[in-house]
Amino acid sequence: MSNNKVSRRQFLSYTLTGVGGFMAAGMLMPMVRFAIDPVLQKSEGGDFVLTEKKIADITEVPVRVDFTFEQVDAWYKSDVTNAAWVYKEGDEIIALSPVCKHLGCTVNWEGDPAHKNQFFCPCHAGRYEKNGANVPKTPPLGPLDQFEVRENEGFLEIGKAIPNTLV
Amino acid sequence: MHWNAKDSAIFQAQKEYIDTAIIPLTLIDGSSQGFLSAASAAEFTLSLSNMIENQFKGRIVLFPSFSYTKKQDKQTLLNDWSEEIKNAGFKHIFFITSDREWSTMEEEKSVIWIPSIPLESMDQKMKNSILEDQLRQLIPIFAKRWAI
Ligand code: FES
Repeated sequence: MSNNKVSRRQFLSYTLTGVGGFMAAGMLMPMVRFAIDPVLQKSEGGDFVLTEKKIADITEVPVRVDFTFEQVDAWYKSDVTNAAWVYKEGDEIIALSPVCKHLGCTVNWEGDPAHKNQFFCPCHAGRYEKNGANVPKTPPLGPLDQFEVRENEGFLEIGKAIPNTLV
Repeated sequence: MHWNAKDSAIFQAQKEYIDTAIIPLTLIDGSSQGFLSAASAAEFTLSLSNMIENQFKGRIVLFPSFSYTKKQDKQTLLNDWSEEIKNAGFKHIFFITSDREWSTMEEEKSVIWIPSIPLESMDQKMKNSILEDQLRQLIPIFAKRWAI
């Protein structure tokens, strides 16, 4: 008879395990999500984005090329417009990131009339050579990043940002 | 930089470089004639402010826009804002607005008044190129102020 009854001790231990189980699950779930998420995410960075820039139109003078891609950030999907400074060096096409390595402002080609042939950052007068090398004694401590590039039916495609390979 | 926890920490560590506050001013107009145009102007002001943030990320902090109504005293608003922003350690402050009523205060050199352009009827590309155009005209204003 008494075998079928749940003793006070058993009852407590069941309920506590139950509650504990829930609590553990509550703690684990976010951790599991964190662990899995990067795997589930598509690698957006690896894809190339088609631009409207004709390869034939690229000269040795850097011009700004905008490109737009879709970014998935938590729940949101948004179109992000990015830019690159693009020019030709011999036969090679170079695309540099316009993001200043100091604190992230946007650099401009020949943005300072006093320094021809250089990129200029208006925020704290940071400067870079044409190949992206930071000019010593200006705030930036590293060269501009580079973008992977390739051609698609005569048009320029821009890929992910990589450390500068020219400097 | 944006007014969020992460960027604010950077600001406090890099005050020597990040020294400028941007505050968009947007009018709330409840009248039936003014409602839509006020909204359109706010959209323009905010889009432009975001462009400015993107260009000058490393030197400015973009604050959330300040919405006010016609009746509020503009001079008091300006003074209160300026005081608090100075308090935080900023050297420069710019108010960005498309509301003409601020244009008389431009001589204070803190209010940048830019007539609104209706962006709602444009596609993304057009929008970007219009905003970029506006931004290009603003760069010298910032550069001049920073040079002082
Ligand atoms: S952000 Fe470019 S020089 Fe400081």
